[in-house]
Amino acid sequence: MNMFLHELRAYRKSTIIWTCSLTTLVILFLSMYPAIAKDAADFKKILDNYPAAVIKALGFSLDSFFSLLGFYSATLTYVLLCGSIQAMNLGTSIISKEARDKTADFLLTKPVSRSQIMTAKLFAVLTSLVMTNVIYIIAASLMASAVQAEPINYKLFFMLSITVFFVQLMFMSLGIIVSVIVPKIKSVLPISMGTVFSFFIVSMLSSSIGDTTSRFITPFKYYDLMYIIKNSAYETPYIMIELLFIVTTITLSYIIYSKKDIHAV
Amino acid sequence: MNIFIREMKAHRKSLIIWCVGIVLMIISQMSKYAATSSNGQSLNDLMSKMPKSLQALLGTGSFDLSKLSGYYGMIFLYLVLIATIHASMLGADIISKEERDKTSEFLYVKPISRREIITAKLLAAFSNIFILNIVTLSSSLVIAGKYSKGEPMTWVIVNLMMGMFVLQLIFMFLGTCLAAVSKNPKSASSAAMGILLATFVLYNAIDLNSNLEGLKYLTPFKYFEAKNIISNVGFEPVFVILSISIIAVLLSATYVFYRKRDLNV
Repeated sequence: MNMFLHELRAYRKSTIIWTCSLTTLVILFLSMYPAIAKDAADFKKILDNYPAAVIKALGFSLDSFFSLLGFYSATLTYVLLCGSIQAMNLGTSIISKEARDKTADFLLTKPVSRSQIMTAKLFAVLTSLVMTNVIYIIAASLMASAVQAEPINYKLFFMLSITVFFVQLMFMSLGIIVSVIVPKIKSVLPISMGTVFSFFIVSMLSSSIGDTTSRFITPFKYYDLMYIIKNSAYETPYIMIELLFIVTTITLSYIIYSKKDIHAV
Repeated sequence: MNIFIREMKAHRKSLIIWCVGIVLMIISQMSKYAATSSNGQSLNDLMSKMPKSLQALLGTGSFDLSKLSGYYGMIFLYLVLIATIHASMLGADIISKEERDKTSEFLYVKPISRREIITAKLLAAFSNIFILNIVTLSSSLVIAGKYSKGEPMTWVIVNLMMGMFVLQLIFMFLGTCLAAVSKNPKSASSAAMGILLATFVLYNAIDLNSNLEGLKYLTPFKYFEAKNIISNVGFEPVFVILSISIIAVLLSATYVFYRKRDLNV
């Protein structure tokens, strides 16, 4: 419990900063919605002059794409990017910082097992992520209700928002396993930034040119927001993969960490 | 000279990783060009009639994806993103790592002035980003040459890469300046990353909402936009001057603040 509280305190400032930036981000983007809605209405008039086949070839339904929920899911791209960096940073740093800051021998000589240490740290990260998400979702829903043109479906809105948390969980467990496998991490940021941005770029480009094979590779594509809006459900195979991935990496992390050679001062 | 060589060696491995990453990215994305370019011309006409904000939402921007130059322009933003992440982290790291790794006592008692140390380190960082730029340029030329079908690409790519180099310089000096100013050396690269992310999000926000057009001076990603360079508008003088002054300010701030800095030992 002490370790848990200590970690929460150590990450308090960064959690607050991340929460504030995510909230600002969603407020900034949602405040632009009224202008977008107007553009979309104009564009629909142009579209009326085209044959139906061409519109079909565009591959999306204008009504759902430019509704508030559709716009919100485009916004979520950037929220996801920032949230993933937060999660990967937390996951990578929480174990590795003991070795880096030369506090490992202080902590590991205490009468607690390594798996207890791991559990406490894991829960601290989870708590920090949950708090970020709770505040984010509250702020986002308030903002959405302020800019909505017609009443929105809050259940769908929540389902979309919570995907940020799901993606964060994947990056968090990825970060944890990286930090227990790599012998010594000098600085966390290049690793977490590099990983998150490579996945982000892969997902952005694959969606621009409509490539579907990379969906399994990048966590950003596990939740097809348009599919969620259409069916009010998640896609089961991806949920299964995510669960499997998280369970495997976390279990492996426990096993590796409990046997790991940790460099003393 | 010793410091320069030492720094080049220290960053050799990471430079190779970044170069390989960026080349792989160019290859993998350009190879999908053939598939995209077969989209009908009518679709492109329709897309070009779309309001700017909606194009930005769809992720294609106002590029003509049936042409190689338009397709390359779409990828260019992400090449810039990769290169500036590299540049800002390198800039922040090269200055602050002595304190982080507790080697500053060793280095700063040597009979050389701080100015000489900074100069050597900046030159090393400069060479690193220059190499990354040249690698990107030559691999783009080779790969684009394979797909161009006679479309003249050389001039476009050379111009785009010149723009990218200026952006790399801006973000590298942003990193060094933050590392020289901040009290805690560890926070420099996070701060640089934060600014980079914020300007990237702002870039996207400006594309979404033309009311924000006035803010384009705040985000370097807007300074050398691929669509202006491709459509032969070239570099806008105001942005060239702005970039040069930003670089000059950041560079002199690095020297001025570092000379008076209390080193954390």
